[in-house]
Amino acid sequence: MSVNAVPGGDVRGRRMTVTESQSEQQPAHWMVLESPGSGATWGCRIESVGVRLPAATLTTRELLSKTRHRTRIQLERLTGIHERHVVGPGENSFTLAVGAARDCLAHSGHRASDIEMLISSSITRSKGGMSQHFEPPLSLGIKQAIGAANAVSFDLSNACAGMLTGMFILQDFIRRGEIRCGMVVSGESISHLGWNAAKQIRFLFSKQLASLTLGDAGAAVLVEQAPEGVPGIDVIGFTTLAEHSRLCLAFPSTLGPGAQMYTKSRTLHKVAIEDMVPLLADVLTQADIDLGNIDYLIPHQTSARAISKGTAEFARRLGAKPKHVVVNLAEYGNTSSTTLFVALHKYLEEHRMRKGDRVMLLSLASGIEIGIAILTIGSEVDRYGRTH
Amino acid sequence: MGAHIDATCALADHSLRKARARRLADAAAQACLGRAGTEPGDIDMLINAGIYREDSMGEPALAALIQEDIHANLGHPPVGRNGTFSFDVANGICGVISAIQLVTGFLRSGAIKHGLIVTSDVYPTPRGSRGVPFQPTGGALLLGWDDGIAGFTDFHIETFPEYGELFVSGLAWQRRRGHRLPLRAAGYNRMVLDSKPGFQARCADCAVEATRRFLDRLGMSIDEIDLLVPAPAAPDFLDTLRVRLGVPGDRVAYTTEDMAGAYTTGSIAALEVASKSGSLGEARNTLMVAAGAGITVALALYRQTPPGEMPRRSRRSHQ
Repeated sequence: MSVNAVPGGDVRGRRMTVTESQSEQQPAHWMVLESPGSGATWGCRIESVGVRLPAATLTTRELLSKTRHRTRIQLERLTGIHERHVVGPGENSFTLAVGAARDCLAHSGHRASDIEMLISSSITRSKGGMSQHFEPPLSLGIKQAIGAANAVSFDLSNACAGMLTGMFILQDFIRRGEIRCGMVVSGESISHLGWNAAKQIRFLFSKQLASLTLGDAGAAVLVEQAPEGVPGIDVIGFTTLAEHSRLCLAFPSTLGPGAQMYTKSRTLHKVAIEDMVPLLADVLTQADIDLGNIDYLIPHQTSARAISKGTAEFARRLGAKPKHVVVNLAEYGNTSSTTLFVALHKYLEEHRMRKGDRVMLLSLASGIEIGIAILTIGSEVDRYGRTH
Repeated sequence: MGAHIDATCALADHSLRKARARRLADAAAQACLGRAGTEPGDIDMLINAGIYREDSMGEPALAALIQEDIHANLGHPPVGRNGTFSFDVANGICGVISAIQLVTGFLRSGAIKHGLIVTSDVYPTPRGSRGVPFQPTGGALLLGWDDGIAGFTDFHIETFPEYGELFVSGLAWQRRRGHRLPLRAAGYNRMVLDSKPGFQARCADCAVEATRRFLDRLGMSIDEIDLLVPAPAAPDFLDTLRVRLGVPGDRVAYTTEDMAGAYTTGSIAALEVASKSGSLGEARNTLMVAAGAGITVALALYRQTPPGEMPRRSRRSHQ
């Protein structure tokens, strides 16, 4: 597939009035962000979301019973995680991603051949006999498996912010009229980090504690050009607080297949929440909305306590709080790059969201990457709740 | 008006110390910014397109560590300035062209003013590094917006999945043999690189096909390409590509000898040679071509033609 980027060019007969001097017009933001107010021609919306969860589950009690040392950590009380889904034989990052992409298409009005860009954004890339696949990119295999023959494909890596980063990229291409439909997909077979951590963890303050919160899931989101006047993505912004880039690191393990992750969780949450407040304010201003008018805040799912503390701080400093804060840790745990879309999918399936609801997706990832999206729920909600 | 190449830098590792991907990328990024006279704080977007690292770190994105190393907006940027957003793109040897496409898009929409693309590849682990088809190198490419030229105008990425098994790489768990001792590692994630004979020649075949389709779509002939910037520089690929496309040797950007084994840095190394020789500045139409695992072929057209003198309109098409 090919993509033009001709200034003022005509793409598929549609007018493409990209304003070349936008860089002069846009005010400076801490975040790199795009919104309808920043001048592009086309709107953009989430058309469908898909999820694939492994059938097997593992409770926190079962996981902690397998630690090599007696830890006395009350993980469920601290994090709110009762259980998480874990991959079984024959399942890996690739199968989860393909399953999620197919589920996304099953909820979509598009066919796979409509997808013009496919981005795989998982941290884990297990496929076949490999614990981490490098080349060819996982996205190429996913594209083949679902039949998205016309899609430009590549992988990106941005820790737990990967899927939202992919959506940011798709939004940019769609708003400029270069493509009309794209998919971001992620398959996270990441629970093995918990097993590796269980062999070493001794105390509550272990840097591997966060590994015990991880669960497996695949998620996919299909983003399309929004017809005029139809609600969609209001704004997406991203920034990297790189002075804290070493607060969470993951490397291949010598204890078992896959990786080990070392996180200074408390410091990470503290600095992220501190810096997130002005970033939130920036994005809310750009979308011209008050935090109190956000119907659902879907934050990255790490621990119920951290989410509660963070939202309380937002409320204290911004003088308002969202109407609902989505926490699904009890049944899924932290599914890394897929958390936001697993939560969005669940709320769509359960018809908790209605047309016109304003949703804020809040990504927090090692780097430290902070991504914020505000969107308005539209007709996509009609496709959920009947098939499952 | 388009995305313009502000500066390039490609480095080979000549140190006696063990090559490290981050160190090579840092050095290339700093040299690139120095050449452009751009402050690190002016970088709005930083994309790492390198693949192979000594530690195969899974997270964070290497780009975030590089952002910290080069001191690009570590904390709250000064009033009136943007912060920096960093992430990694993984598309093998085609990753640089994918990253150029992304940066070009964000420049065009006005979300950013400067985008820095960095690359580096080093031997993944001491074990299993036999047959690694590259040498440790790092590169950086700075893109900005120029009102005076068309810049990067068209991209084309095509895949040939029927050849997907010709080059495969990844980590595979290998259990340590013998008795387990308490403090001894149970095993390690061994790097596996499987490159089948004839891979580069097949890449060249695919690149020729994709290039012809791309030029047809643009309504251009190969004679209108003043400069070809290919990657990789492997003779099996490059010579076949050049001969079959009918491009004279003086219109090809060959990398220097010490960069001949560059992997994801290959495209940047070739651009740098062309930039230093002046051929990049003189060429009205420069075609970047990269081909690697997948098989994926990526092409980018860089035009130093004033926007008002743009040739025939490009039309998008599906493969």
